[in-house]
Amino acid sequence: MSAGMSAAAGAAPGAAPGTATGTATGSGRVGDSPRRVGGHDRVTGLQRYVADLHLPDELHARLVTVPVARARIVTIDASAAERVPGFRFVMTAADLPQPMPRFGPQFRDRPVIAVGETKYHGDPVAAVAADTRDAAEEAAGLVRVDYEELPAAFTVAAALDPAAPLVQDPSLRPNDPLVGTNVLREHRVGWGDVEAAVADLVVEQRYTFPMVTHFAIEPHAYIVAPDGDGIAVWSSIQHPNWLQKVLAELLRLPLSKVRVHSPDPGGGFGGKQHTKYEPLVAFMALRAGRPVRLVLTLEETFQAVRRAAAEVRVRTGFQSDGTLAFQDIEANYLIGAYADIADRVVGKGSYPGCGPYRVPAARILARSVLSHTVPSTAFRGFGNPQVNWAVESNLDEGARALGIDRLELRLRNLARPGEAFIPFDTPCDGQWEQSVRRAAELIGWGRPLPAGHGLGIAVGIKSGPTTGLSYATVRLLVDGSVIVFAGTSDMGQGARTVFAQIAADELGAPLDAVTVVMGDTAIVPYDQQTSASRSTVLMGNAVLAACREIQGKLRAMAARLHGLDEATVMVDRGVVRLPERELTILEVLVPGLGRLGGELIGNGEMRKDAEPDHPLGGSAAFFEFNCTAVEAAVDEETGDVTLVHYATVSDVGKAINPLQVRMQDEGAAIQGLGHTLMEHYIFDESGRIRNLGAIDYRIPTSLDLPLEIVSEHVENEDGPGPYGSKGMSEGALLCVASAVGAAVRDATGVAIRDLPLTPERVWRALQERP
Amino acid sequence: MHAFSYERPATLARAVALLEAHGPEARVLAGGTDLIIRLRDGSLAPTVVVDLKRIAELEPGIREADGRLVIGATTVMTDIAADARIRRRFEALAEAAAVVGSVQIRNRATLGGNICNASPAADTAPALLVHGAVVVIAGPSGSRRIPIDGWFVRSGVTTLGRGELVTAIELPLPAAPMGSVHLRRTRRRGHDLASVTLCCGVDASGVTRLAYGSVGPRPVLAVDATGVLADRDAAPDARTGLLERMLAEATPSARSMRASPDYRLAMLRVLARRGVDIATARLAAAEGRR
Amino acid sequence: MSGRIPIQVTVNGRARAFEVAAHHTLLEVLRDDLQLTGTKECCLVGECGACTVRLDGRIVDSCLVLAVEADGGEVTTVEGLASDGRLSRLQGAFLDEGAVQCGFCIPGQIVAADDLLRRVARPTVGEIQEGLAGNLCRCACYGQITAAVAAAAAAEAGAR
Repeated sequence: MSAGMSAAAGAAPGAAPGTATGTATGSGRVGDSPRRVGGHDRVTGLQRYVADLHLPDELHARLVTVPVARARIVTIDASAAERVPGFRFVMTAADLPQPMPRFGPQFRDRPVIAVGETKYHGDPVAAVAADTRDAAEEAAGLVRVDYEELPAAFTVAAALDPAAPLVQDPSLRPNDPLVGTNVLREHRVGWGDVEAAVADLVVEQRYTFPMVTHFAIEPHAYIVAPDGDGIAVWSSIQHPNWLQKVLAELLRLPLSKVRVHSPDPGGGFGGKQHTKYEPLVAFMALRAGRPVRLVLTLEETFQAVRRAAAEVRVRTGFQSDGTLAFQDIEANYLIGAYADIADRVVGKGSYPGCGPYRVPAARILARSVLSHTVPSTAFRGFGNPQVNWAVESNLDEGARALGIDRLELRLRNLARPGEAFIPFDTPCDGQWEQSVRRAAELIGWGRPLPAGHGLGIAVGIKSGPTTGLSYATVRLLVDGSVIVFAGTSDMGQGARTVFAQIAADELGAPLDAVTVVMGDTAIVPYDQQTSASRSTVLMGNAVLAACREIQGKLRAMAARLHGLDEATVMVDRGVVRLPERELTILEVLVPGLGRLGGELIGNGEMRKDAEPDHPLGGSAAFFEFNCTAVEAAVDEETGDVTLVHYATVSDVGKAINPLQVRMQDEGAAIQGLGHTLMEHYIFDESGRIRNLGAIDYRIPTSLDLPLEIVSEHVENEDGPGPYGSKGMSEGALLCVASAVGAAVRDATGVAIRDLPLTPERVWRALQERP
Repeated sequence: MHAFSYERPATLARAVALLEAHGPEARVLAGGTDLIIRLRDGSLAPTVVVDLKRIAELEPGIREADGRLVIGATTVMTDIAADARIRRRFEALAEAAAVVGSVQIRNRATLGGNICNASPAADTAPALLVHGAVVVIAGPSGSRRIPIDGWFVRSGVTTLGRGELVTAIELPLPAAPMGSVHLRRTRRRGHDLASVTLCCGVDASGVTRLAYGSVGPRPVLAVDATGVLADRDAAPDARTGLLERMLAEATPSARSMRASPDYRLAMLRVLARRGVDIATARLAAAEGRR
Repeated sequence: MSGRIPIQVTVNGRARAFEVAAHHTLLEVLRDDLQLTGTKECCLVGECGACTVRLDGRIVDSCLVLAVEADGGEVTTVEGLASDGRLSRLQGAFLDEGAVQCGFCIPGQIVAADDLLRRVARPTVGEIQEGLAGNLCRCACYGQITAAVAAAAAAEAGAR
């Protein structure tokens, strides 16, 4: 273990869950783990999420849907609904501008409301506005929709069938060569010559990954109010500036007339990145001339956001010593009826599909396959877990066939620091072997196991942001307190705390004298988005730059006050150093600002420009790297899988807040156990979601955890963020399924290539064991 | 949720009168953990909801009377799971009550509600069948009692008539020790609706009572009075054959999304074997304590 | 009885009399009528526990209780757990152990954990996991929540 390795935030091996050692400590400087900023309101119930806000005179909206996926809308009759006391109006496609306004982060294919036909179960055909929530619900239930069910495609095979009904209207992409198919786009990336590559062993298998939903405990909520000659919007959204742009375009308003408030979301996980029903609610509010609110039910969130399912075929070439000869990957991602950001998920998620390995020849083909299902969108891991499941599992197959230890095979191929493992991208930016060796050590790799137990180990890698633009403003007030303005959304990942720690450290302020303002596009400078584990690096650097600008002003101030050459004054982490002595920031600030007081303002910008020739439009700002190792026990009579030990190790560069790093890693691991062990949408023959809601869509509870979970992180201060940090929080989810599946395989001798590993699926595989 | 009128009768007679007057337009509210879900999803739309929780005669509680343990119909799962007499004498019922939903659910869900819903997956049903429960019913023509074996008709349907309601569930106190256990299969370890439920009871005379649910329209009771099943020294083939016959009434639906029929049937056999073993061991332990 | 029904409920120690609709749940009345929005709405089927409150000494999913059922009763919500603006030991432990990410499930978690500690002074890890199994956390801070409850119990024992 290197000197840079930190075990400070990890539980001792053997510790029971819940007895782990990470607790809030320290004053709040960088590297401390203070109590989370905003925590007080979260434990007292005072935190206001969007649904907790009310505007005077507001109307309540409710969506109207039909119980099939694809249907021609014949008539919509609201006459019964109109008789409900408190009913105000019903909004249908006919009530919106013609042609129907469409939006979408990649393709403008999504109508404000279904027009002509529905394309998935839950696609709203109408929305009712009423004085009360009760009236809206009752009236929505009385809107009679006559519809004619149409043929539809819910699986990759059905959607790729040449006779399949087309999901997207061909007029939306007239000059596209794929227009006559349900393939929205194909992504091809590769290097070397796969066809010519010679291998001692070729393993080819097909793997599937289920359709799962985000299940944020806060259902999405929207309020839109007419506001002078513009609108004010409240949305539990991760990308308020992007929403502002979408609404400004749809409503033909200047950006300055669309004010987006984005109170901290109650969990996002990618599902709250992009615009969903805000345009509909905005048109309703403008029609009403009053505020309109729409709070989704949990069921409606299942019909609004999900992760793409995938079918992945992998052909891996190995040399007899375990070195990789080639990877040939074909991944069909089942995206939904509207593109949302799904095609970017497909392209970016499949791109590092070969993993963090030295692969002489690679060919990756990924398709975005449209289907009559809920539009898939970003979800923690962003398309990577699907391919990781296939490729890492295939490596295990090869290792077994070659008689090489699975850990050893990985170490043999792992990219070394500085190695361009993807030839045209950022080279390996971490000491990745440290994470792998530590995870193996934590799980006790190679030790003898009881019967029915098995070990699995897997690694995951993900490209960080490829472009970025974040601005921050920091104000150092006359009493030494600080206000940070940052457009990141703190949806639980703890960005607010991290920015406060950076500002506190740089400007010598106590943490509780730092306020971080987020979530209001009229006040907070622009931020491109909160995604791709970017905020610590991109916005963190912008905050740091803003602090450094203030430090520059303090240097000038100190030089002036003390008659010194500015070059002899240093400001370093809250201290002003003169040639002969040190001063506190306040000792410079107060006399420097003089009788009128005032403040020092710093602005910071962090820009990562696009690279037009790069396959992803830009190289990775950093890579997220994780190694997960698992011991599983399988009950062969029932198929029950028990995770006996679980170790997750992430390379984070520098933990600005080690406790938060641990929370993210363990949370990502347990969230990943959902798609690994239990979660999946179940459809009927009409494409209706059968397990719609919390009773039959199961996510992990406190009783579904590994018996022991240990998380550690590697810190070598080798990242591009403040103090050498890298982005993190998705890494620990990337290879959960791969590690668990490998352990189940090791325990039973049976390889299962479909997720989730439900007891029934494991049992069935055991029945079919030769 | 649709609007309805709410009635909170103070007496049993008034409750019966309300239920008789409104018939299928009325729904009984006890714990509400199923009813309110169904009111919200629209699968039930009664005009009247009759809340039983303020009826003096229906105070929740568990008492012993005339060689029986009488559990008031409005007694919640938390109290059943915690009751020392039930844990000692009817262990399977305590175990079944302890796995109905979460703490929050068990604090509301009542035993009467669990059997009146008549879900094939009702957790307490197999234990009540094994322990020979009797359902006490009040109705327009007075009170009647029927064995639990004649109670369940099919999913959601019981032999309860118009105007009738369950006031108590009685368990005959066994003269000799019995070992019993409740087992279930779920999709995760956290609370879940069962895809198979099974209760096994073995008494000192060697009689084995097996009851199972969620594998057909109603829970099933099968009894081995020969003593073979509980006899560890009996020929394995004889025990297996007997078990097969006892489980023969299982007819799981192919429509369920919680588990496939063949998995349910296989798990029923696993649970039955494990159940017999555990119940037999518990019996031995109980006899050892005497 | 239909239309608005008068009820009396003691909420967080304060006796209140008001009228409710028969079909409104305790959750709706707490949030919409009493503006006690600390209690959260999510699944509405008694699965997630975000709406957990204590009713007459026991925790319930307030989405599965009609407000009229609480008539004459005592309700404690998350807003009733901190006294004089000071965090309870449990609330502090949630922050110290890193048990709070997005925070949306936390009011329900804390009400359920508070109830557990009233019933069991020093719960084991298994008892904590069982006691809080009715409260979903999608950020999956389960290990930290368990640690917080254990730490609060230990601190309470130390203080006695």
